[in-house]
Amino acid sequence: MQIKVNGQAIEIFSGAKVRDVLRKYSRAEWKLVQKNEKKVCDRHGHEVALDGELNGGEEFFIKEW
Amino acid sequence: MRNEILSSPRIRLLLLSLLIVFAFPSCASMPPAPAEARIVIFHSNDVHGKIDNFAKVAAIIERERKNCENVYYFCAGDNFTGNPVIDQYDPPGEPVLELLNRLRLDLLCLGNHEFDFGLDNLKKFAARTRFPFVCANIQAGGDAFPQLRPSVVLETKSGVRIAVFGLIQIEAGNGLPSTHPDKVKGLLFSEPLAKAWEMKKLRAGNQVLLALTHIGYDADLLLAQQMPELDAIIGGHSHTRVDPAENVNGVLVAQAGSDNRFLGRVELLVKNGRVVAKKGGLIDLGGPLSEDAEIKAMIVRFNQNPAFDKVIAKAPLEITGKDALGSLMTDAMRQVHGLDIAFQNEGGIRLNRLPEKITLKDIYTLDPFGNQVVQFAMTAAEIRGLIRGSFAKGNEIDLQVSGISYVVRSDSAQQIKEILLRNPDGTPLAEDKKFQVGISSYVASAYNFAHADPGRSLQSTTADALIRYLQSGVDLSIYRDVQRAFWEKTAEDPRP
Repeated sequence: MQIKVNGQAIEIFSGAKVRDVLRKYSRAEWKLVQKNEKKVCDRHGHEVALDGELNGGEEFFIKEW
Repeated sequence: MRNEILSSPRIRLLLLSLLIVFAFPSCASMPPAPAEARIVIFHSNDVHGKIDNFAKVAAIIERERKNCENVYYFCAGDNFTGNPVIDQYDPPGEPVLELLNRLRLDLLCLGNHEFDFGLDNLKKFAARTRFPFVCANIQAGGDAFPQLRPSVVLETKSGVRIAVFGLIQIEAGNGLPSTHPDKVKGLLFSEPLAKAWEMKKLRAGNQVLLALTHIGYDADLLLAQQMPELDAIIGGHSHTRVDPAENVNGVLVAQAGSDNRFLGRVELLVKNGRVVAKKGGLIDLGGPLSEDAEIKAMIVRFNQNPAFDKVIAKAPLEITGKDALGSLMTDAMRQVHGLDIAFQNEGGIRLNRLPEKITLKDIYTLDPFGNQVVQFAMTAAEIRGLIRGSFAKGNEIDLQVSGISYVVRSDSAQQIKEILLRNPDGTPLAEDKKFQVGISSYVASAYNFAHADPGRSLQSTTADALIRYLQSGVDLSIYRDVQRAFWEKTAEDPRP
């Protein structure tokens, strides 16, 4: 399935979680999120948890707190 | 003229009917206009076995119950999977069952992870709950799931009727919820938003219409757009922190994050038979809130799960080193899921030894990350690409393997010259065949490798596979001196 992170399309296995698609997008950004220095929001601006389950076509943004 | 009209039998019958309707309103075909009601609905979703904050949840709900007569507690699915202490309870999920019963949950919408312990376990669980299960887009043929209902109607003390229907997500590929397909055999699933159209009929005769969903926030927004008849959607699945709840197309859309870190609270004001005001928000459970002492004691008891110290397998000797432990972990993945080949990265092996008497605690210390098994159909060339990418991360062997052995040959500058893949009998792996390969979700997402198959999670963790493998009574003596991944540094190529 395809998920967008910061506008970039990422192909990820079905059944993946938010953490999986972040790791595939950028190891560096993933580490910042893991350290709670950044957060992940959906396209509506709501924060999502890293174990959130994904559906194809969703879009996320990595943001400063 | 006047007497003529009154003497007509049809007119006299009509007048008699009107007299009955106005004199005895309870006999009328339409219910009487209900009184005003303030309705408070607390909601949780995607608890995933994180029970510690239930003592705070209980205190908050009980306090509200003392102040308001119409207080409900809903759960939008996924109570299981995510906390080994709870997942490994005997019977599985028992702590969640006892806590939700004790908290007087009013309604549960099934989430995909409610099925993780199998349908039989879920039915046993449902038989002991004091709350109904709702989900409109599941068809359970015959006796497959007698406790499941598409919708329920709750009624306040003042006579306000609250209709609630449930919806569960399904995957685009297989049309099933995100759980192992074997876990939902015997059930039929339909597309949730299409099913919701049929639920519009619930609007008639009910003053409040709610959807309790496990379809994710994006799908909840689509539902709100297509169904303005709804007063509110209380959702789950995407673990979205919606605070305050959004008003979309006149429909309040709420979701309370995940892992019991927040408790959702929706408030509805009903006047003259319809909702005239509504709002929703989250209560952060991370702060110093008061706790229900009885619930707290239950949680302490559940967290001391004796199953964790129980010996689940005995080895003739300690299993030591990354080669042996990685071989054990990948054998488990391959055997339990019926795969051809399995890989495990060494960074995911968090112990150097397993004792002779192996407990669940040992397994979750060895493999603590909750990574899922992901299946790919891969060619030999793609498998080489995976090994090449893993080797390049640190210029050393990184992937332990089951189903094949491999040799990485490099030059003195550690540049890979070739990767040999061999079957267990030493013959070369077929180049023209696709193999079903299992790898952890960490490797699947963090390693660079080309694969034509996008892959699919088997909705089961690598630790679960190891537990099931060990519990099958496998001979653990084979993990003495085992090695399947080799690195050969060749001398400089003598050829020109």
